[in-house]
Amino acid sequence: MRFRTQLRDSKIFSKLTASLSSLGKVCWMRLEYEVIRFTIIPDQGTQVWASIPVGTIFDDTTYELESNSDAINIEVNISVLNRALRSAWGATHAQLRLTKKEKTPLLALTVLASEWTEGNMALATNDDPDGFGDDPNSEEAPADTTGDRGPRERQTWITQEIPIKILHESAVEGLHEPHCPDPEVHIILPNLAQLKSISDRFTKLASTDSKSRQPGVMAPDAPGMHSVSFGGAGANTAATALSTNSSPKLELSANMHGSLRLAIATDELRIASVWSDLVNPPLDPAQMTQEEMSQLPSELNRKREASEAFDFGWAKVRIDGKDWSRVLSIGRLSPKVVACFVNEMALVLYVYLPHNRDEEESCLTYYINSFTT
Amino acid sequence: MTSLSLSLGPPALVRLHDALICLAKFSETVAIEAEPDLLRLSALNSTKTGFASFAFEKGVFFEAYSFNSSVNGRSGSVSLERFFCQIYNKALLSIFRGRIDRNKDTAVERCDMELHEDLQQAECRLTVKMICGLGVIKSYKLTYEPASVQHAVFDKSKATSMWTADPRFLKQLIEHFSLSAEQLDMYSDSGRAVFTSFTTKITDGKEVLKHPVHTSVAADKRDFQEYLVEENMHVAINLKDFKAVVAHAETANATVTARYTRPCKPLQLEYRFEGVNAEFTVMTRGQADSEDVPTSTRGTIPRQTPAPVPISAIRQRDTRPSVTPSTQMPPPPPRSRSIRPLNGSSTQENLSQKPSADRPVASGLSMEFDSLFVPADDDRQWDEMNEEEEPQDILGWDASGTQDAFGASIRDAEPSFSKHDGSRAEEADDEMGLPPTQRLSQVRQYGLFD
Repeated sequence: MRFRTQLRDSKIFSKLTASLSSLGKVCWMRLEYEVIRFTIIPDQGTQVWASIPVGTIFDDTTYELESNSDAINIEVNISVLNRALRSAWGATHAQLRLTKKEKTPLLALTVLASEWTEGNMALATNDDPDGFGDDPNSEEAPADTTGDRGPRERQTWITQEIPIKILHESAVEGLHEPHCPDPEVHIILPNLAQLKSISDRFTKLASTDSKSRQPGVMAPDAPGMHSVSFGGAGANTAATALSTNSSPKLELSANMHGSLRLAIATDELRIASVWSDLVNPPLDPAQMTQEEMSQLPSELNRKREASEAFDFGWAKVRIDGKDWSRVLSIGRLSPKVVACFVNEMALVLYVYLPHNRDEEESCLTYYINSFTT
Repeated sequence: MTSLSLSLGPPALVRLHDALICLAKFSETVAIEAEPDLLRLSALNSTKTGFASFAFEKGVFFEAYSFNSSVNGRSGSVSLERFFCQIYNKALLSIFRGRIDRNKDTAVERCDMELHEDLQQAECRLTVKMICGLGVIKSYKLTYEPASVQHAVFDKSKATSMWTADPRFLKQLIEHFSLSAEQLDMYSDSGRAVFTSFTTKITDGKEVLKHPVHTSVAADKRDFQEYLVEENMHVAINLKDFKAVVAHAETANATVTARYTRPCKPLQLEYRFEGVNAEFTVMTRGQADSEDVPTSTRGTIPRQTPAPVPISAIRQRDTRPSVTPSTQMPPPPPRSRSIRPLNGSSTQENLSQKPSADRPVASGLSMEFDSLFVPADDDRQWDEMNEEEEPQDILGWDASGTQDAFGASIRDAEPSFSKHDGSRAEEADDEMGLPPTQRLSQVRQYGLFD
C-alpha cells in the first residue's frame, strides 16, 4: 500500500476540507487512481459525497498510488487535516504521503515554506560564542548588531503528521449514496454568499426571537428580491417556549420557472425572501431518452404554465437552519450549485467546483433530509 | 512603615497593561515586589513549572518612583530594601484596560500609584489614580495581600545552550502547531533548529483519530540572530507558556533570548525593552541523559511530572549580590484576614471587567455577520453561524460595535451604579438588551425595579 503525491493547489484543498469539516469530523477518504472521494456521514444532519479529480488538488505527475484493491480507504479527522493544510499555504513544495509510525498509520504532510526576509533575521557575523554567559546588563538589544547578511529567502520545513485509520475494503462495501425519488424541481441556486447571509439572518431572527421574545423585525430589501415580514407583536409568548429547544427550520421551496423562496415562520414572525429569474438547467440528454425525460416530474412541472395557481408546481422542504448554514460553507469555493427538490422529503445539492475546460469536473453531492411539520 | 509611590506616563501604562495580560496567562494573582531601584511584577503558575517576571527600572520606565521602607514591614519583607505583596490580577487588568485611546478628551495623561504599609493600620490598599484630560481623576483602591514572593532560580552563567530570535519569526513557527498541542520540544539537527509540538495526553488506542497531530517545524539556523545549541539535545517546554512569551515579546518588539542547559533543568526566556526586563523561567522535560533521542515520537515521552522549579525567595542575580538570603524564610501569615479583592469597598475595579472583556470579540463577530453583503474574499463568512452572539441585535441589520463601547464606558463613568446594587447589576449584564441610559436610582421611583 503506497500513496504519495505533491499538492497542486493547497488553497483549494484547504478550503474544501474546511467546508467538509463543518458537517462532521470523521471523513472517509477514498484514494483512487483518477479521483479522490471524500464522504462524511454524520449521525444526524446532512451527508456529503464528494468526488474530486486527482488533478484538482494533487499534482498528477507525482501522484503515486499502489493498492491491492485499486483504492486506499482511510478515515481521517477532517478538521485536523484542514488545520494541518494551513501550513501549506504559499508553500513552494508540499507533499502528502501515507506512512506509519509505531504501528499508527499517518498522513504525513511535508511542506517547504519559503519567505522573503529583509535580512534582520540573519545570524549576526559578529556574534560572540561566549556571549550568553555575560552579565545581562551588558547585552544591548541584539537586533542592532545584525543586518550583515542582506535580504534572502528564508526556508522552513514543516511536517504535520495526522493520525488516520486504514479501512479495509470490506468495511466500506456497505456504504452507498442514498437513493432518492426523482426530484420535482431542479434549480441553480443564487449567489451563495447572499443566500448564506440571508439564511443565517433568518435563523438567528427565529432563534433570538424565541429566546428574548422581543417582537420587531426589519427585513432586507435588495434589488431582485421581494421581502415580506410580519411582526407578530401580539403572538402568544407561551407557545414560543416549545420552539426554543429545537433550532429553527427554514422553509425552502422552488419551482421550475426560476423562482426560489426562502422563508421562516415562528409564532411571532413570518419572513420570506423570493428570488426570481433563476435558471432551471436542462437535463443531460446523454443519460436518458427524450421520452423518459419528458415523464420526469421536474419536466412535467417545467411545461406547466407559470400563471397557474401560485402554489402549484412548487416543491418545498423544511431544513434545519444551522445545518443549512454548514452546508453553505462550501460557498467559499465559489461553486455552481444545482438544488434538486423532492417535495416534503429531501433536498439534494450538486455542487460543481470551478474548473478548467480540459479537466474533469469536481462534484460534491449533499443529501439533506426534509423535516416534517 | 513602607511607602511606595510611582507615576506612569501613557506609553508606560500601555506597557504595564501588556505585562499584566502576559502575567495573567501564568497565574491569577500577580506578585508585586518593590525595591529602591525597580518594581517587579511576577507570577508563578499553579504547578510551579512556569515563572514570569517583569522588572521595571526606576529611571527609565517611570516618570517618578520612590520607595521607602523601614524595618519589619508587615507583608513578609524582613529585609530593609524590599516590599512584597500580591494582588488579584483581574482587578489590576480591569483598571488599566482601555485607557489608551488618546483621541478621547478624557484619555489618561498620567497614572499615579501609591501604597502605604503601616503596622498601625488595618487596611492593605494600593491606590491607583488615573489623571485624565478635562480634569477627570479616577481613583481606585485595591486590596492587596501580604505574601512571600517566590522566584525561580536560574543561573545564566551556567547555561550551555542559547538562541536569540525575533518574536515575529517565532510566532510564524508557532502558527503551524495545532491548537490542542500542549508541549513544545526543541532541538538542533545539522544546521536546523527543529521545533516539535506534541501532546502527552493518554489516548485510547482505538480512537486513533483523536490522537494529536504531531507537527514539527525545522527552521534554518540563520533565521535566528544567534543560535548556539548542543546538537541533538531535546528539551521540551509547555507550549502555552511559550506562546504567552512570544505574544508579549511581539507587542514589545523585543528580541527573545532562550538559555538552557539540559532537559529537566529550567529554561529561561528573556528580553528587555524600554527599561523593562522580562524573564520567564520554565521547567523543561525530556530525558535527563540525552543519549537517546526522546521527544521526536509521542510514545517515548516519559509521562513524568517534571520536578517543580526550585523555588526560593532569593534569585541569584549577578548584579545584586548583596541581597540577603534571609528572605528565604517563609514569613508567617501576619493575620488571618482573607483577601477579597472583588468584594467589599473595592467594587469599582470589576465594574467594567466583564462586559469589556467579552464584548470586543462579540462585536467583531457581529459586524461580520450582520452585514448582509459581505466583503469579498473573507473566508470566515463561510464558517458556521455563531449562535453565541449577543442577542440584542435583533433590532436591526447594522448593529455596529459602537453600541458596545457606549455600554462599557457608561458603566465606567458611573461606578455608583452598582454600588447600590452590585450583585444584581452584574447578573443583569448578560441579559441586558441595550446599554443603560438611565441610572437605576433614577427609575426606581416609578416602582419598576422594586
